[in-house]
Amino acid sequence: MVSAERHFKSPSFSKRIIVIVGGYGSGKSEVSVNLARFLATTESKSVAIADLDIVNPYFRSREASRILDKYGIDSIYPKDNFTHADLPIILPRVKSAIQGYEGTLILDVGGDDAGSRVLSSLTDAFPSDEYEMLLVINANRPFTNDLNGCLKMMQKIEETSRLKFTGLISNTHLVEHTDKGEVFSGYKLTSEVCKKTGLTFSFISVEENLLKDIDPKEINVAVLSLDRLLLKPWERGSNSENI
Amino acid sequence: MKGNEAIAEAAIRAGAEGYFCYPITPQSEVAEYLTKRMPEVGGVFLQGESEVAVGNMLFGAASTGKRVFTTSSSPGISLMQESISYMAGAHLPAVLVNIMRGGPGLGGILPAQSDYFQAVKGGGHGDYRLLVLAPSTVQEAVDLMMLSFDLADKYRNPVMMIGDGMIGQMMEAVEFPEEKEIKRNNPDESDWAVNGAKDRKPRIIKSLFLDPHQLEDNSWLLDDKYEQMKREEVRYELYKVNAKNKLLIVSYGTMARICQTVIDELESEGISVGLFRPITLYPYPMKELKKEAVKKNIKTVLTVEMSTAQMLEDVERSILGKKQIEFFGRTGGIVPTPDEVKSKVLELIKPKKKAKTSEKKKRGKNVK
Repeated sequence: MVSAERHFKSPSFSKRIIVIVGGYGSGKSEVSVNLARFLATTESKSVAIADLDIVNPYFRSREASRILDKYGIDSIYPKDNFTHADLPIILPRVKSAIQGYEGTLILDVGGDDAGSRVLSSLTDAFPSDEYEMLLVINANRPFTNDLNGCLKMMQKIEETSRLKFTGLISNTHLVEHTDKGEVFSGYKLTSEVCKKTGLTFSFISVEENLLKDIDPKEINVAVLSLDRLLLKPWERGSNSENI
Repeated sequence: MKGNEAIAEAAIRAGAEGYFCYPITPQSEVAEYLTKRMPEVGGVFLQGESEVAVGNMLFGAASTGKRVFTTSSSPGISLMQESISYMAGAHLPAVLVNIMRGGPGLGGILPAQSDYFQAVKGGGHGDYRLLVLAPSTVQEAVDLMMLSFDLADKYRNPVMMIGDGMIGQMMEAVEFPEEKEIKRNNPDESDWAVNGAKDRKPRIIKSLFLDPHQLEDNSWLLDDKYEQMKREEVRYELYKVNAKNKLLIVSYGTMARICQTVIDELESEGISVGLFRPITLYPYPMKELKKEAVKKNIKTVLTVEMSTAQMLEDVERSILGKKQIEFFGRTGGIVPTPDEVKSKVLELIKPKKKAKTSEKKKRGKNVK
C-alpha cells in the first residue's frame, strides 16, 4: 500500500472531524474504512469511525469491524443484537465523540439527503470550525454523473444535514471493470464541481492495482490508495484482509 | 449500478408504465429510484397503503394491458398472494420482484432464499403457477427483468423474479440493451385488455367461474400454458461441468456465485467440481439436471441453498433416486462462506479424511 503511494500526494486533514456523505452506493463506507485505515497507519493520533448509516442495512462500514479492530480503530455502531436491526439507532457516544473525541473522527453517513438527515439531529454538537464535510462522487452513479446532478445532490444534503460542505472526493469506478479512463472521468467531473463551488478537492480514491497505470503528474490532487475491504460473500480480498 | 436501481431501470427500458409499491427493506431503492424516473417517462408511480392494496392495484392496472410491475420483499410478497392468484386466474400479465429476506414471519432483513416454495409452488390458492426467474448477477437481473415483461405478455400470466437481498443491494457494472431492441406490447391490439369499450363490445376480466365446468376449463387452460412454459422457457447455466467432475453442485442466485468461488479454488487444488445453476425455478430444468447428474463420473449431487432445503425437493424430483443427493444450507440471513461450502464438498469427496463436527452435521443434511 505504501510503496504504490510514494509518488502521489497523500490525503491530509487539519480538522478533527471528517464527515463523509454522498449518494447511495457512491462508496462512502469503502472510502471511510480505507481512510480510517490510512490515518491509523500513518498518523500518531487515534482514529474513530462512526457508522451513521441508518437508511440502508447492507454493505455498511460495520461489516469491516475485523479490519477496524486490527488497526486499533475505534468503531462506533450498535453492537450485538442491534448491529443488523432495521432501526434508526444513534448511539449517545456519537454525540460525545463529535463534541470531544481526541483524535480523528470519521462519520460514515447514509446515502443521499435521506441518509444525511441524521446529521441534523447532531448539528448542534458540531464545533463549527472543527469539521470537514466531504461529498463522495462516483461519476458512474445515475444521479451524480454530471455537474448539475452533483450540485443538486450537494444542495439537498446541505439542506437536510444543516452542515456545510468543505470539499469533495472522487471515488469513480466500475468495480472490477474500472480502468484509467474511469478514474480520469471522475477526476474531471469532481474538478469541475470544485471549480464551480470553490470547494477543495480533498482526494481521489483509486484501487491500488490501478495506481501503477497512472502517472502522478497527471493528477493534481492527493490520492488515497484503496483496497476493497467491503467484499461480497463470494469475493476473496486482494490481500489477507478478508472481512 | 446497485441491483435495486438496475431492476428499476430495466423495467423502464422494457416499457413498464405502471409501478405500485409499498416500501420494505431490502428493496426500497427500487421505489426511490422510480420516484425520480417514472415521471420522466410519463408512467404511473403509486405507493399503496399496504402490500394488499399494491397487489390489487397491480391486478387492476394489468387488466388494461399496460406493462405493470411491483417489487417487494418476503413479508410484502406474502400479503400480495391473493391478488397473484386472482391475476393468474384472470390470465393477466404482471411482473413481481421478490428481493428475499430471512423468514418466516417478520424474520430479518438480511439475504435469504427461503421463499422458494412460495414462488415456485404457488403461495396463493388454486391451480396456478408463476414463471419464476432467479438472477445471480446485477446484469442478469437487468436481462431477466426485461425478459419477464415479454414472458408475462407471452403467457398472460404473472412472472416473478426472485433475488436475495444481495442482488438488490450490491453494486456491479451493467449494460442496458439499445432502446430499439426493446419489444413493447400494444394493448390496443389485444383482444382482452379492458381499455375503453368505445366502438366495440365490452370485455370482462374475472377469475370467478361459478359453473364448475367453466372453472375446470379455465384451470386446464392455465395448465396448458404451464406445459408450454416447460417446453419453451427452461433456462439454466452450467459452470465448469465436465467429465472430470466428481461432484455436481446445484445452486441458484447469488448462492451460486459463492459456489463458483469454491469451484475455482478446488480446481486450483486439483479437485474437479461442476455447477448446475437453474435460472428458471419454474419451469425447473428437470431433464437437463437429470442428464448431468446421472453421468458416471458424478458420485454425489450437492444442493446448496440459503434456506433449510427447499429447492432440494425439485432436485430430488429431477434425479429420482438415481444419484446420491446431499444438502448444505444456511438461513435466516446468514450467507454461507466459501470456506463452509468448500469443507462440505471436501467432506463428501474424501469422507474418511475429513473430521465432521457436530455443527456441520446439523447444517448439512444427508438426504439419501
